[in-house]
Amino acid sequence: MRNDEKLEQVMNEALRGLPPRPAPDSLESRVLAEIERRSMLVWWRRSFVHWPGAARAAFVLLNVALVAATFVNGVAGLVGGRSLTEFAAMVLMWLRPFLAVLSSVGALTPVLLNAMPSGWLYACAAVGVLYATLFGLSAVAYRTLYLRPSMAGNS
Amino acid sequence: MRAYQDMVFSTASRLTGSDAQAEDIAQEVFIRAYERFADLGNSPTAGGWLKTVATNLSLNYLNRHRKRWRLFSEMHSAQDEEDSPQIEWEVPDTLLEDLGSEQRRQWVDSVLHQLPDHQRIPLVLYHFEELSYQEIAAKLQVSLTKVKTDIFRGRAALLPLLQARGDSHEAMDI
Repeated sequence: MRNDEKLEQVMNEALRGLPPRPAPDSLESRVLAEIERRSMLVWWRRSFVHWPGAARAAFVLLNVALVAATFVNGVAGLVGGRSLTEFAAMVLMWLRPFLAVLSSVGALTPVLLNAMPSGWLYACAAVGVLYATLFGLSAVAYRTLYLRPSMAGNS
Repeated sequence: MRAYQDMVFSTASRLTGSDAQAEDIAQEVFIRAYERFADLGNSPTAGGWLKTVATNLSLNYLNRHRKRWRLFSEMHSAQDEEDSPQIEWEVPDTLLEDLGSEQRRQWVDSVLHQLPDHQRIPLVLYHFEELSYQEIAAKLQVSLTKVKTDIFRGRAALLPLLQARGDSHEAMDI
């Protein structure tokens, strides 16, 4: 038998069928106290599944009506008596300032990069390298010190 | 509740590795059972239902906790997952055979908490909750290879800890 198969079998024999850990004595009283506390809450402060059926139905209907009214009013307000082409033109008009800002940023970036002193670029690169180094060190420290405490104990 | 509280608490405690968290989870399990008492009252499946809920709530808690650490803890290379770790020592024929079941339980629970989460959780699901590798991979949302590797490494880390009981189980008896 291979070593790993033997290890699985030995572990199975040692671990399966062990008696459970005794729960703390306080567990039962905690559960009863929490059940009592929750039962004292007024119905609308409990979770939705515990609301009375009529209240749940009314709540759902009210919300559906609100969503429908908002949607219908919103669409009617936007479209009004306009044709589809007019509506599309209106949407494009709203988007125009955003597109203008994007286009300006696109044009500004190469200008800034050319105008920026090279020292700044080196500083940005150094910050990036430092960030990556610290990230790597943290990952190594985490994996060495936190993930393998038992391994440390074994050696 | 008294018939099942030890089982529910054990499941949560072994999975989370924290007694305080296990007590909170056990409390929530029994409150949910109380809310479904009409269905569960005399059902023969009540024990299985309680165990499943305890397992799922524990995994939910661990998942929330893991998200904070995911960035670092899951930076394993593909090589890391595929490597088949070797056992460098002799595997004994039996373990803890000289101890009574309660003493064995105490020792196992004390050393189980020393394993890191990513080894303890699949190990507990496999050896205590008796889930298959596939079921564990689905529950933990990790690859089958990772589950097998973590369980293997968990066993390899647990073995010397269990064997070390000869030095200290007398102290536990006091």
